[in-house]
Amino acid sequence: MGRWSEETVINAAPDSASLAAARKLAHPGPWSDSGSNDVLVWGKCQGSGKTPYQVSVDIVAPAYRCSCPSRKFPCKHALALLLLWSRGEAAQAGADTADFAKEWADQRADRASAKERRQTEQPADPEAQAKRLAARLALMDAGVEDFSRWLTDLARTGFSAARNQPYSWWDGVAARLVDSQLPGLAEQVRDMASRVHGRTDWADHLLLNAGRWWALTKAWTARDTLSSEEFADVKAALGWATASAEVQETESLAGPWLVLGAHRSDDGRLQQQRTWLRGPDGTVVVVLDFAGQGQGLAAPQLAGALLDVTVARYPGSAPQRAMFTGPVTPRGVATSLGPGITLGQVLDEESAAVARSPWRTRIPVLVGAATINPEGTGWLHDPNGDALPLVDAPLDSLLALTGGHAADIFCELDDGRLRPLTVVVDAIVVTP
Amino acid sequence: MMWLADLRTAALVGTGRHDAPVPPAELGFRAPDGLSREESLLDQAALADVVTRATRSASTVVDTARPSPAAVDNEPQASGEAARLLELLLTQPPVGLELRTQLVVDWLGLAGESRRRVPHRLLPALLTLAETRSIVFRSLEPAIGSRGRWLQEIKSLPAKAATQGPAMQHTQLRGREDTVDYHRLRGRDPSAAREQLRESWTSLSARERAGNLALFAGNLEEADEELLEKALDDKAKGVREVALRLLDQLPHSARATRMAARLRPLLQVKGLLSKRLDIDLPPAPDKEALRDGIPPDPRRGEPDRMARLEAIIKGAPLDVWTSVSGRNRSATTALLKDEPRVLDAMIAAVEARNDAEWARALLTVLTDRRLLDCLPVDERAHWLQRHIRESSDEPQTLAPLLQDLPQPWSVPLAEEVLTVISGKDGGRLAALLALELPTALPPEATERCRQLLARTDDDSARRRVLRDAVQYQSFRQSLTEAFR
Repeated sequence: MGRWSEETVINAAPDSASLAAARKLAHPGPWSDSGSNDVLVWGKCQGSGKTPYQVSVDIVAPAYRCSCPSRKFPCKHALALLLLWSRGEAAQAGADTADFAKEWADQRADRASAKERRQTEQPADPEAQAKRLAARLALMDAGVEDFSRWLTDLARTGFSAARNQPYSWWDGVAARLVDSQLPGLAEQVRDMASRVHGRTDWADHLLLNAGRWWALTKAWTARDTLSSEEFADVKAALGWATASAEVQETESLAGPWLVLGAHRSDDGRLQQQRTWLRGPDGTVVVVLDFAGQGQGLAAPQLAGALLDVTVARYPGSAPQRAMFTGPVTPRGVATSLGPGITLGQVLDEESAAVARSPWRTRIPVLVGAATINPEGTGWLHDPNGDALPLVDAPLDSLLALTGGHAADIFCELDDGRLRPLTVVVDAIVVTP
Repeated sequence: MMWLADLRTAALVGTGRHDAPVPPAELGFRAPDGLSREESLLDQAALADVVTRATRSASTVVDTARPSPAAVDNEPQASGEAARLLELLLTQPPVGLELRTQLVVDWLGLAGESRRRVPHRLLPALLTLAETRSIVFRSLEPAIGSRGRWLQEIKSLPAKAATQGPAMQHTQLRGREDTVDYHRLRGRDPSAAREQLRESWTSLSARERAGNLALFAGNLEEADEELLEKALDDKAKGVREVALRLLDQLPHSARATRMAARLRPLLQVKGLLSKRLDIDLPPAPDKEALRDGIPPDPRRGEPDRMARLEAIIKGAPLDVWTSVSGRNRSATTALLKDEPRVLDAMIAAVEARNDAEWARALLTVLTDRRLLDCLPVDERAHWLQRHIRESSDEPQTLAPLLQDLPQPWSVPLAEEVLTVISGKDGGRLAALLALELPTALPPEATERCRQLLARTDDDSARRRVLRDAVQYQSFRQSLTEAFR
């Protein structure tokens, strides 16, 4: 594993306050016994107490440990150590691994191998497996049936009545869905509570989503008639996770993969990171990373970077979810993301995507020669005079980068609105 | 689409009270038989979802607000270390907020000098900072380049009406926006501004007359006297007071001559060696004197006759004093050292007229920030240097004298101040100068700060100020090197 760039370290910080605190510690003064090897970076930081804090960082599968009592993760000590290491000012390679770092790494390795052993040693009992699957399907069937009944009740009593319901009413429905192992659906219902109260077009929004949920219950009931790809999409929409071990066994696609753009979101319960990649044959995939509150997300990939890595795809329709199956090695930076399309073509792609899978709502698109209009929450124009509204757009930054000139902009098309993730200006790919 | 509207209505009130509509034939939708009302509604909602998403069209209407593209930037952008340092200052400042502001200003200055501009991606954060820090706002040019100006224009679009157009086009000076324009005009062309105010004088409210007249203070000239004399006859007290304040700034005006005539008979040199200057109090004001701003008798109680004397001193030319005493300025002020209110009125006159000669003379008998402000920068620094060395005042009395001294200070002055700060009672002064000291000390003083820091010291305020000073200088040094 190569040395991290300072930017990678910055992106690993849980918030800017931690980073600011880390910068104050990022000078060699308080550090002792620091060192690094291919996997670990470690050091001791003298804090206000008598014993220095012991800091160890696993840089391959980012993991952090520090003996300080901070609840921030990674804490300022880990960040400061990484900053120093990234600048080459401390933690030089070659030293013997410090005891505390070695101990921690060994513990982690033990845990990982124990988990692996549990998975491999336990001989797969096909009978028990089938029994578990049958039980799960029965549970989900019951949950879907219950949800269909709730939907018909909603249709009979009307949306106006539903709007007067408190958040807890929606949460109750979501909780029943979680109990029935339908967490994906539960998430959507829970989100709907705030949208019904917050959006001006809430009635249309609820109508279309209720339709989509209804169709999902129908698709589940008729799952025997679906192709394996269609069924995978339904499973993903309901929140039935595919084990990563299963994915890893599928065919790996070789790189280089071009990072088209990435988006991070944090809804207060869960942090999510979507990274859109395009392979040498034009295949577009999305890598999803999740982390709970206070945990560190995987380090983001730089937009425009070419990654030497193999990728395995989850089942489902394009653009498929994917995971990295090997170490990620940056191999250079692209000067362009390739040819863009017009907004007319963007909407054609949406039609095609809806036809492939009505459950998928986010479509990656690269709009060519687009200009930004700051009116309202922002609009994106194409050279043909068409425009689509923007969502979550850092308008000031987009305007500063493009200067109102045409630029290729990579976006997620989400519910008819474009979420700009990457801009190409003067042969440089930048994140606004 | 009518169907969608019907569908929404049915969904809102519920199928319990409203039938689900029938989907339009052109969609080719064939519902299965025997569906309940609810199922039919939900089926159609699912259809509506897919149809809506598959047939979306782009908007073509909202084009009016699209800004025309920015002009091309001619200057190259600051790159490498310089860009990294600005980004650091804007996003993760490693220093306190006050120092950060000053360092951003320094960055902009250095960039302007070396004909570099702010990288485009950093403009939003910089402009956001400039919204709350006026000193940053004033330093934006020329480093923000044409892209920055373009962005500023877009950001201020909603407020554009307020600042648009030259003031010359206005015939009426009304409202806040006009005042802003008028202020600019007065700064640019005092005589045009004077003519404009004279013309619109009768049509303005008293508040507007006073407000616009007050804007003359920044660049008052002899030619303004006529309008000010006219304002003395104004029916509004507020306007008269502004005019009086402004006339105090003009020692060669007719009013100053009238005041001199009132002051001269009150002063008498007495004593065997003519070493005493007696000052009588002025008589009750007549109509002319009232017009010139001498306070009238109060309705009740004794009149403050001393206040009348002060008004006369502030309005009269200072040379009256030397002509009566027959001595030079310093010798004359020496005669007055036991008359604090007289001296204070004289200081006010010196300050209003920015009279360096009299400021020097008065500084021989007392220390006052207003007098220092009248001296040229170098002389101020010299005077302070000597004052710090020779005076036995409490260290903290130096703070107001040092606070608005232009920065950076001269090396000898910085040395003197650091000596005081490192002394026994210097911690208080350090705390009072916490905001100014780090940026005011010249680079040459950094080593001394380091040495002082290395000393064991329990005074945390003093340590903090010295540490800030060292930090500022080392960052500033990095900036200079980055632009080399």
